[in-house]
This record gives sequence, C-alpha cells and structure tokens, in this order.
Amino acid sequence: MSGQVKSLIDKIISERSKGNPTIVNTTKTKLILKGIDPDEWNAASPDDSQVISKIKQIAQELGVTL
Amino acid sequence: MSIKTAYSTKSAVKDAAAEVAAGIKESRPSVVVLFSSSKYEPAVISAELQAAFKNALVIGCSTAGEIVSGKMLKNSVVAMGIGADVVEDASVEVVNSIKAENHVPEAFTSFEKHFGVKMVDMDTNNYVGLILVDGLQGAEEGLMEKIGDLTNITFIGGSAGDDLAFKQTFVYANGKSFSNAAVLAVLKLKKGFDIIKTQSFCTMNKKLKATKVDERNRTVLEFNGKPAVAAYAEALGVDPKEGKNQFMRHPLGLIASDGQPFVRSPQQIKDNAMVFYCNIKEASELSVLESTDIINDTRKSVEEKMKSLGPVSGMINFHCILRTLELDEKNQSAAYGKLFSSVPTIGFSTYGEEYVGHINQTSTILVFK
Repeated sequence: MSGQVKSLIDKIISERSKGNPTIVNTTKTKLILKGIDPDEWNAASPDDSQVISKIKQIAQELGVTL
Repeated sequence: MSIKTAYSTKSAVKDAAAEVAAGIKESRPSVVVLFSSSKYEPAVISAELQAAFKNALVIGCSTAGEIVSGKMLKNSVVAMGIGADVVEDASVEVVNSIKAENHVPEAFTSFEKHFGVKMVDMDTNNYVGLILVDGLQGAEEGLMEKIGDLTNITFIGGSAGDDLAFKQTFVYANGKSFSNAAVLAVLKLKKGFDIIKTQSFCTMNKKLKATKVDERNRTVLEFNGKPAVAAYAEALGVDPKEGKNQFMRHPLGLIASDGQPFVRSPQQIKDNAMVFYCNIKEASELSVLESTDIINDTRKSVEEKMKSLGPVSGMINFHCILRTLELDEKNQSAAYGKLFSSVPTIGFSTYGEEYVGHINQTSTILVFK
C-alpha cells in the first residue's frame, strides 16, 4: 500500500489552515520542525507504519482529528 | 502617540531608566518593550520602567548587546513605547519553571479569557505574540512547539542574554524580573504587522540526515549513519579535526517550503558527536549552509519589506549574538545599525531567535504597520 503518509499530512495541513495560504506554510514548517517534511512524501510513498504513527501523534498535538 | 524609541548608557540603573522613560513618554505607551544589558540590576530596571508607565504593559529582558534606531550598542538599555494607535489591546503572562515544565497551556487560557477568543481562532493578521525567554535553560524548543500546537498566530521573539557571561539571564514583566521563565505577550494590533526573517546563508548541495540523536541535549551523534563530526567534515571536504573551525561559516539548515533555512548552529564537538545551539529531531534531513554577507542580505530583506508595506511604525529586531560577533569581527556593527535608521527600532543580541520554532544565526524582526 502507498500514499497514506501524504494523505495524512495533507489532512493535517488542510484542517489546521482552513485554506489560509500563510497558515499552510507555517503548518508545513511546524511539521518540518517536528521531523516530518511534507515535501518528502507523495502518493507513491510506501505506508511506513513508524512514520504513520509519528504523524498521528503530531496530529493529536496539533488538535487535528484524523 | 505611535511608536517612540530611546536608549541610555548611563551607569546608574535609575538614571538610565529615567532617561529612556523620558525618551518614549511622548508615545503615551500602552505597551513598553525594554532590553537591557546585564550590567543593570534586572529587578530594578523592570520596576523603574513599570513605575514610569503605571498603566502600560511593560515587558523586556536582559541582553548580550542592544539595537536602537540606527545604532548597535553595548552596556545600554533600549526601550520602545508603543501607543494605543498601534496596539488596541495587550496581555502578558509569565511562564515559570520552563526548564522542567511547560505551562504554555495555562498562559493561553488566560489570554483567551482576556481577549474573549480562543487562541486557535485568533485572527492571524491582527494578533501577534511576543516571546522573551531565559536563554540558558534550553527550553525554547518545547515552548515554541507547544505554542505552535495551540495557535496559528505568529509568536516571535528571542532568548535573553547576559553579555556573554553565560551565568544567568532574565525576562521582565509587570515590574518584576524572572529567571527560568518566559514572558509571553499577545498584542492585538490596529494596523497589523509583518515579519522579516533573515539569515545570511545559501545552501550547498550537501545533505546530512540525523540518524542518531540525543534530543534532550541538543546533540547529534550520527549523520548519515556515521559519527556526526566525520560526516559533517566529509560534507565540507575537510579533516574532522578542522570541523569545529567551520561552524560559524557552515551551520546546518532545515529547509522550509519557501526554500529558506531554519538555521541550526553547531556549538561544540563532544567525542565524535556535535552539540548544537538548538534541537535537531532524529530522521531530519539538513542542508549544509555557507555564509553570505549579513549587511547586504539584511539590507535587501529590510528594503524589500519596506517597499511592499509602505510606511511602517516600528520594528523589534531579535538578532543572534553569533551575527553580532561576526559583525564585530568584520567591523560592520555600525553599518548594521544604520540599516535601521529610518524606522523606530529596538532590538537585542539574543542567545537564540524564535519564529515558528527556535532558530540560530538569524534575525527575526517584528514590523508594526
């Protein structure tokens, strides 16, 4: 399976920014500082369970329900 | 009203406080921001400025050098008075015991009560946060991460200094001084604000992935599966023994989506590991950076912002001590100060800069429209 990491990252950014482009950028930077670079992942990226678990933790920290 | 700045180099703390108070009085400030050399007794400078402006919110911190409109200073106090035509409303909270605990959520609950709006729902165009933090507790990352988790508004600021003594730094609020603490302030602005984040580095085509990290101690044990210092030296094509001589010119950077680096500056080598001035998360990929010209880069950043915004009311510059040391070494401090001649400006040489996260070798500048 592939693409779940990107899908989760996109949902965090979308939920948090609600379409505000400035908040899209700062949310991406927050993710980078938390150790997840959104630009590293695409629809073909494998579903790495450790990364998925880390993203779920980050979503919780950011108050986003996945 | 509007914004006024002033400075003093008087030796006696009460005389210095009186001089800056007289200099900013005309702004009839609702907020006063002060930065003072560690030569001034922290509790006294904070109390004196609060006494001078009883109805204002007064915040500040100790420094490792100061900036005021057109000048870089040492052993001085600088202050900015911000009038009610710029700041509509403001609130301050002191977050204590930052080394071991994280009380940002409690501070945010107080802000929500004060402003009547949830932190996560605040208008990011009109609300801005200031953070001044004890620069010797290593707590900045935890504070900034929690802040970023709980709100979308920008928090910008710096880590307090102590004129390179590295013994104790202080933050000021409500006429008192605090160590092992951070001061958080939220300002609701009438005309909005903007940010300048400027660092003088370009990226080299060299990447280092942090494969083994001691996050608590800001230490990278391995890059690319090799001892950190060996991988760093290899990336630069130098002998590992020469690694530490490259730190100022070649820090590392996390590259944001706009292509700009969030600089992570190496501090020292311990065994074969590298200790940094800020945290690096395991599995992060960093670019090796190469220094460029601070004066030219800062001038360009400031001029571009001024051109896009038109007239601005004032600036607060959180300026890394490592940049100050480089400017001093190159005899460029006066030239740097002059970049801020045309706008009421204060700032200080920090032990770290805050913007989205904790960063190094950067100037983070709050620009009041």
